[in-house]
Amino acid sequence: MFSRIVPFLAIAAVCASLAAGGASARPDRSAAGGITVFAGSSMTAVLPQIDPSNTYSFGSSTALGTQITNGAPADVLMSANTTVPASLYAAGVVEKPVNFTRNTLAVVVPKSNPAGIKSIYDLTKPGVKIAEAASTVPVGSYTVQVLNQMGINTAVQANVVTKETSDANVVAKVALGQVDAGFVYLSDYVIDPTHLTLIKVPAWAQPKITYAMAVVTKSPNQAAAEAWMKKVLSPAGQAIFVKNGFLPLTAPVPTIAKVAPAHGTPGATVMLTGTNFTGTIAVTVAGVPAKFKYVSPTKLTFTVPAKAKSGSITVTNPSGKASTPFTVG
Amino acid sequence: MSAPITRGQLLSRSAKGGAALLVGGAALGSLVETASAASTTLPTGDLAYVRLLVGAELLASDFYSTALAAANAKPAVTAYLKRAYANEQEHYTSVAQILSGVGVTPAVSGDIDFSYPDGTFATQHSIAKFAAGLETTILGAYLGAIDGIQTDTLKVGLARIAANEAQHVGYFSAAAGGKAFTLSFPQELTIDEASNALDAFTA
Repeated sequence: MFSRIVPFLAIAAVCASLAAGGASARPDRSAAGGITVFAGSSMTAVLPQIDPSNTYSFGSSTALGTQITNGAPADVLMSANTTVPASLYAAGVVEKPVNFTRNTLAVVVPKSNPAGIKSIYDLTKPGVKIAEAASTVPVGSYTVQVLNQMGINTAVQANVVTKETSDANVVAKVALGQVDAGFVYLSDYVIDPTHLTLIKVPAWAQPKITYAMAVVTKSPNQAAAEAWMKKVLSPAGQAIFVKNGFLPLTAPVPTIAKVAPAHGTPGATVMLTGTNFTGTIAVTVAGVPAKFKYVSPTKLTFTVPAKAKSGSITVTNPSGKASTPFTVG
Repeated sequence: MSAPITRGQLLSRSAKGGAALLVGGAALGSLVETASAASTTLPTGDLAYVRLLVGAELLASDFYSTALAAANAKPAVTAYLKRAYANEQEHYTSVAQILSGVGVTPAVSGDIDFSYPDGTFATQHSIAKFAAGLETTILGAYLGAIDGIQTDTLKVGLARIAANEAQHVGYFSAAAGGKAFTLSFPQELTIDEASNALDAFTA
């Protein structure tokens, strides 16, 4: 357990240092390689997976934005909200921001769950010790927003015993059992589910948590910074974010790779192999709705409709459609 | 269709209740009236209930639109799916206007990603069965809201929506092979119970 928690404490120390110390010294790029990325602490685990050669400074997005405004030598800002990059863009400090991922707010409790918390509403009970981030950092402002929307902010705030400078610090407090619960991002939980238990924040109360990034206007590494942003937005980069508990910018559309058999008579069962079949809402053959059965995210079966003619098989999910030819007969 | 409530009736009820907001029938279009510009607020707890109901209506609309797209129901059941879908959209408009009427932006379609158990839309029976359970939860949420909110003038409008949700429960319960109605007093849900139940269908 200790080995897992140490990184949290290290992150917490870095965050505290960043929050208190203003602009940090320019990292030694010759030693580290790549570019210098200032990023919200919720991305501590994910960005090095996309490119370990960059130099990263993780901390509160708000504090990092202030540091860049004050001349800190960053090439790219990656913020846990859209407001910090937008305000820096308006001030000419960064180029036009680009959204690159989404997140959700969550509550985590220690695995032992000493306060017996089963729902976010349990956080209103007297005596529960809660950690949250300060409202000056994105995760803290999202927390207050959610609690206000649920009508329980006053009751929950009465139980808040510490206000941290980042989500990483909140995770550390919870993992060490210093508090009964903490508000973090879902991605914080995904990093280390071993020592934490997740309590969902209701979707109806969730804020829109969208991350945005931008190239720092004064960066001497514009081309490399833009290449990095393309890497983040690439399917491979996005997949790493999703693997670490972030949400994709948009739900993926289905694809069809194989139809077996390639032709069939009405009433025949056909297997489709492809991707993103979860959430399929319709399968049609030449426009005629077919009865289908979801097997897995990569497999669907459908029955060739009685009135179907040769044409395209179309699979539809909420994000889009995929089609491929099919012969009836 | 709902019987319209006149603006005069709204204001009259509002004055009697001493509160600012009303919710009424969907035929009215905008359902929120303010008795005075100075009192366009709702208690925090009431706002939370209304947000929950907005989320519930978005879920219901998403479910029915998905069920219709799946096209796995016979024409008679499909007709009721279409009617229920229209009802839920009108309910959404009503409860969302309560929020917008006090300057709060309501959640809209696309804000919440919903997910359903595998096979939910595979057959007419599975669709009807899920609809009956979902509508029972939504009915419970409305009944709980009627009991829990402090703003009396909202209660009649919410009760009218609850009555319609109860019709949905009855129809889809029967369509799924169960009884159209059983309980003399359907169960109300507390806000946390309703929230937890509905959250099971969010991605």
